[in-house]
Amino acid sequence: MINLPQQLSLSVNLNDDATFENFYAPAQTHNAMVVQGLREQLDGKGEAFIYLWGAPGCGLTHLLQAACHQAQELGLSAQYLPLRDLVGYAPDELFVGLEDLDLVCLDCLPSIAGRSDWELAIFNLYNRLREQGKRLLVAAEHSPRELEISLEDLRSRLQWGITYQVHSLGDEDKQQALQLRARARGLELGDDVAQYIIQRLPRDTNELFWQLQRLDHASLAEQRKLTIPFVKKVLAI
Amino acid sequence: MLQSIWKLCAASLQDELPSQQFNTWIRPLQIDESAAPLELKLLAPNRFICDWVNDKFLNRIRELALHYHQDKNLNVAVGVVVRTAPGFQSRPVIAEPVNVTQEIPVISAPVARVTKIDLPIPKLIEIADNSVDYEGKLLNNAEELLVDQGARSTPELDVEGGLKHSNYLNTSSTFATFVEGKSNQLGLAAARQVAENPGGAYNPLFIYGGVGLGKTHLMQAVGNAMVARNPNAKVVYLHSERFVADMVKALQLNAINDFKRYYRSMDALLIDDIQFFAGKERSQEEFFHTFNSLLEGGRQIILTCDRFPKEINGLEERLKSRFGWGLTVAVEPPELETRVAILMKKAEQVNIDLPHDAAFFIAQRIRANVRDLEGALKRVIASANFTGRPIDVELVREALKDLLALQDKQVGIDNIQRVVCEYYKIKMNDMISKRRSRSVARPRQVAMALAKELTNHSLPEIGEAFGGRDHTTVLHACRKIKELQEETADIREDMKNLLRSLTT
Repeated sequence: MINLPQQLSLSVNLNDDATFENFYAPAQTHNAMVVQGLREQLDGKGEAFIYLWGAPGCGLTHLLQAACHQAQELGLSAQYLPLRDLVGYAPDELFVGLEDLDLVCLDCLPSIAGRSDWELAIFNLYNRLREQGKRLLVAAEHSPRELEISLEDLRSRLQWGITYQVHSLGDEDKQQALQLRARARGLELGDDVAQYIIQRLPRDTNELFWQLQRLDHASLAEQRKLTIPFVKKVLAI
Repeated sequence: MLQSIWKLCAASLQDELPSQQFNTWIRPLQIDESAAPLELKLLAPNRFICDWVNDKFLNRIRELALHYHQDKNLNVAVGVVVRTAPGFQSRPVIAEPVNVTQEIPVISAPVARVTKIDLPIPKLIEIADNSVDYEGKLLNNAEELLVDQGARSTPELDVEGGLKHSNYLNTSSTFATFVEGKSNQLGLAAARQVAENPGGAYNPLFIYGGVGLGKTHLMQAVGNAMVARNPNAKVVYLHSERFVADMVKALQLNAINDFKRYYRSMDALLIDDIQFFAGKERSQEEFFHTFNSLLEGGRQIILTCDRFPKEINGLEERLKSRFGWGLTVAVEPPELETRVAILMKKAEQVNIDLPHDAAFFIAQRIRANVRDLEGALKRVIASANFTGRPIDVELVREALKDLLALQDKQVGIDNIQRVVCEYYKIKMNDMISKRRSRSVARPRQVAMALAKELTNHSLPEIGEAFGGRDHTTVLHACRKIKELQEETADIREDMKNLLRSLTT
C-alpha cells in the first residue's frame, strides 16, 4: 500500500466522507436546491457551469468533492483542484488537457485572484470546456461580483452559469449535520452528546467533523460507545 | 509483452489503492506501445497527472514492473501526451527514463511549490521531431480525438493537406436567436451584410465592446449562416488562445507549414477576443501573414475585441491598421427594453413561462451585460423548478436575494457620490455643499439622477443625502439631466460611463 503524506492527501485526494448524501441539506431548504443543481449538472439535465460561494465552513469543498465522487459513480471523469495548494504551479501546464474530463472542480478561487497568469489560464480553460461541452464547478468565499479578479472576461464568464450561495448552518442544523455524519460512519451520536460537543467546541463545521473523525477512531480503538464521559476524555473538553 | 506487464502492475495498484486514487491517477495512464522492449513508458493525459504519478507512484510502479518483468535493466518513465490542434500529429513528451536500478529519493514535500523549477519531478525532454516511434499509437489518439469532436455534432472540415478540424461554431448562435436593440443595431446589420456577402466590402469585420454583450454570438451567427448556405464552406471559429496554442504546437512539431496551409485555406476565419494577441509577437507575425493571405484571396475575416483596434496595447501598428481596413462596429450594453427582450427570448428557448413584469424586474436590476442576465435567469428557473412555483416577481426577488442585496450594497448613494466626484474630479464636500457654480452643480445633478435610477431611495432621502436638499431639487435635477442627455453628447457619454462603472 502506498502511503501519501497526510498534507497531500488532505489537499488533493478526495475525502471519502464528502458525498451528497453526507451533506446536511434538509428538503426544501436553499442548500437542498444547491445539491439538486449539482446533481443535475452531472446528469446532464442542468447547467454545465456552476459557481458556488459562501462563508468558510459552509461546505464548499465538501460539495466539490461530492460532485467528483458522484461523477465517478456515474462513470464520468472528474478532477478536483484546490487552487490554494496549487498556486506554485504554472497554470497553463496544469490545465493542459483538462477539457477532456467530464467535470473540472476548482476550489478556493480567491487564492489566485489578481494573478494574471492564473486568471487567463482559467479563462482559457473555461472556453475550452465550453467548446467541448464539458462541466465546470467553481467555489469561492465571495460572489463573482465581489471577487477581486482583474480579468473582466473571466468574471463575466463565471457569472454566465448558475451562481449559488451556499448557506452556513445554524447551531441546530449543525447538531443535525453532526449526527448525520456520525450515522454515515456507523456511529450513534445521541442528542445529548451532540449538544455537549456543539456547546463546547468551536462551532466551525470543519472543526466539528474533524473532531467527529477523532471520536470515530477512538471509539473503534477502544470499542466504546459515544457517551459524554468518553467524548470528554477523548477530546479533552 | 510490456502491455501485459502494465496490466499486471495496474491490477496490483488497483488492489493497493483506494478506488478514488486509482481512478484519478492510475487509470488514465496508457502504455506507450512504441517504446523500446526494455522501456515501460506510460503516458498521462495531462501534466498534472504526470507530475503527481512521477512524484508519488513511480517508485511503486517501478517495483511492481520489476517484480513482474524480472529484468533489472527495465526503464520506467511517465510522460505526458502533447496535445495538438486536431489535424496535427500528436507527439509525446516523456519524462527522462529512470533506470530501475537507480535509487530515487522518496519525496514527501507538499504539492504547492514556489516556482515551477522546484517541482519534484524528473526533467522533461521532448522526443525529436522527426522520430517515427510514436506515430502509430499517437496518431490513433489524434483520430480518436477527432471522432469525439464529431460526436458533438460540429461538422469537421476537410482542408488542404488532408487535415481535419471542427468548426467550433455553436449552432444555437444564429441571427434568429439574437435579440436586436439600439445597442447592437449596427453590429447586427453589419453581420447580416457579411453573411450575405462574405469577403466583400466589410472585410475584416471588427466587432468590439465590453464583456458579455453578444460579440461572439454575432460572429458565430455569420459563420452559421455561411455554413447553412453552403455546407461545404470552410468556416472556423476559434478563440485567440487556440490560434496561439496551435501555432506554438506547430512550431514545436515542425509542422508550421501545415498550420499555415490550414488557416490560409479557410473561407472564413472567426477569431474571438483578439486583444489576447497583445504582447505575443510571434503569433502576431503569423496572424499578420494569415490575415493578408485570406484578405488577398477574398476570404472573410471576423474579429472581436474588448476595445477599439487603436487602443490595443502591445499589438503591432500594422495589425491595428489592417483591422481598420474593413468595417469596425461597436456593441454597447443593452438598454432596458433590449434586456427585457433578451430575457423573454431566452426563457422561450427553454420553454419557460416568464411573465413580462418578472422579466422587467430582472432587467431593471441586472444591467451590466447579457451574461449576467442569463446567469440571473438560470437561477430563477432553477428556483422555480426546485420549489414547483410559477415564476413571478416574488420568486425572482427570493431567487436573486443575495445578488440584489449585494447590488444595493454596492450601488448606494454614497458610492454614487464618490464615483461621480472621482469622475468629475471634484471634492465630496462640494458635492454636498450649497455651492451652485456649474462645475459643482452639474456633477451633483448627475449624481442625483443616478441615485434615482440605481437605488430604491425616495426623493426626500436622496435630497437629504445631498446636503439636506428638498425633494423638488432632486426632481428638477433628474429632469435636467434627462433633457441634457437628449441634447448634448457629453452628458450622454458621461452618464453611460458612470452607469458602466457603477453597475459592473
